[in-house]
Amino acid sequence: MLQAHSFLWNYLWLSPNVLLLVLALLMYWRGLSRRYPVFTVFAVGAASAQLIVYTSDLVPSVTPATWWIIFWSGLMVEGLLKFVLIAEIFTQVFGAYAALAKSGRILIRGVGVFLIFAAALAAALAPKDGLFGIVAGAHRLEQTIYLIETGLLLFIFLFSSYFRIRPARQVFGIALGLAVSACVHLATWAVMANGGLPEKRNLLDLLNMATYHICVLIWYYFLLIPEKARPTQPRPPKPPADPPTGLAVEDHLHEWNRELERLLQ
Amino acid sequence: MTLAVLLIVFAALALASVFGYAVSRRLQLPEGPGLEARIQPVDIEAFRNLVNPAEDDHLRRRLPSREFRHVRRVRLLAAAAYVQVAGRNAAILVRIGQSAQSSDDRNTVEAATRLVDQSLRLRQNAAVALFRIYIALAWPNSGLAATPVLDGYRELSGAAMLLGRLQNPAEPVRIAAS
Repeated sequence: MLQAHSFLWNYLWLSPNVLLLVLALLMYWRGLSRRYPVFTVFAVGAASAQLIVYTSDLVPSVTPATWWIIFWSGLMVEGLLKFVLIAEIFTQVFGAYAALAKSGRILIRGVGVFLIFAAALAAALAPKDGLFGIVAGAHRLEQTIYLIETGLLLFIFLFSSYFRIRPARQVFGIALGLAVSACVHLATWAVMANGGLPEKRNLLDLLNMATYHICVLIWYYFLLIPEKARPTQPRPPKPPADPPTGLAVEDHLHEWNRELERLLQ
Repeated sequence: MTLAVLLIVFAALALASVFGYAVSRRLQLPEGPGLEARIQPVDIEAFRNLVNPAEDDHLRRRLPSREFRHVRRVRLLAAAAYVQVAGRNAAILVRIGQSAQSSDDRNTVEAATRLVDQSLRLRQNAAVALFRIYIALAWPNSGLAATPVLDGYRELSGAAMLLGRLQNPAEPVRIAAS
């Protein structure tokens, strides 16, 4: 059941990628691909890359060395698409706010540079685990990509949280799915790249695939299901006189303005 | 394996932060009177007095060095409290402005956009000012620049007043000081 090439293993590898391709198709039909072009390209590109790797795994004529080269190629394409997608998320969240866009760009670049150095250091410190170079290198590359991806997404979440920015539901859903996937994959690939749990790697693979499946379902939920209308509270009638507490915002602002105009005199 | 453990801890903390953000987003108070009531009025004059360089110079001349440093630290802590409240108010105004951005009225949307932009700028300035205040706490003799916070507050107040008027046209216009 939990072994490689079991039914569950095949299902978890195949179905999220098929679902992701269907999601891209549905987004195209609903016109969402125009609003989120990079996510649509990511969905098609990442799913196609994974399906190619999956097919190569099943075809007997593909040698292990060739399979790892295909795996590396897919990893590079997927990694590149993820970073472009993170840039799209950043633009969608902060692009509308001129006050934040500039400082946010400077900060995220700084964070990105720091993460690249940290990820390079982590890859350099990873022990040689006796695997073939191409295999160990793939593990380190996965760890590197997910470390940078997790850091950048965490920055976007914390930055928008500090400024109380409420991103659009669909953008939030894309970022949430990507972040959950990145965090879990970072943990599992860190174990693999550092030679941990050598006998239970199939379990880590299954955990990765199951997480990705959940993330694809998160994208379905946030991109295709409309948000329920929230009940709005009616505005209470204005009190006849200003009470000492619980003032309406206009009164507070009037008070601030009066104080400030006095200062400016 | 130490490195793997560190990375796992980082991943777990990041995941917890993301879930925390998602939950807080879900539980956010609905926009409306509840949100407005959370705004705390700030005594801007007292704040301006606290960060006035002339006041600091006066105290530096009149007090012994040791006493001046103590008084300055107390004043800086008070200024930090004001900046924190101003920053919190700005965050609430961001939420109010964002909810008003979905209005059908073009003028309201424009005013709300301006309010959000200025609130974000103020919150950003407040963060920088707070950082400078904490630095100044370590070196009480250094200068302190909190002017951007004051300027931001003035602009923010005007924008918020305009949005308030547009959302409640029946209310009397009360921008000018009485």
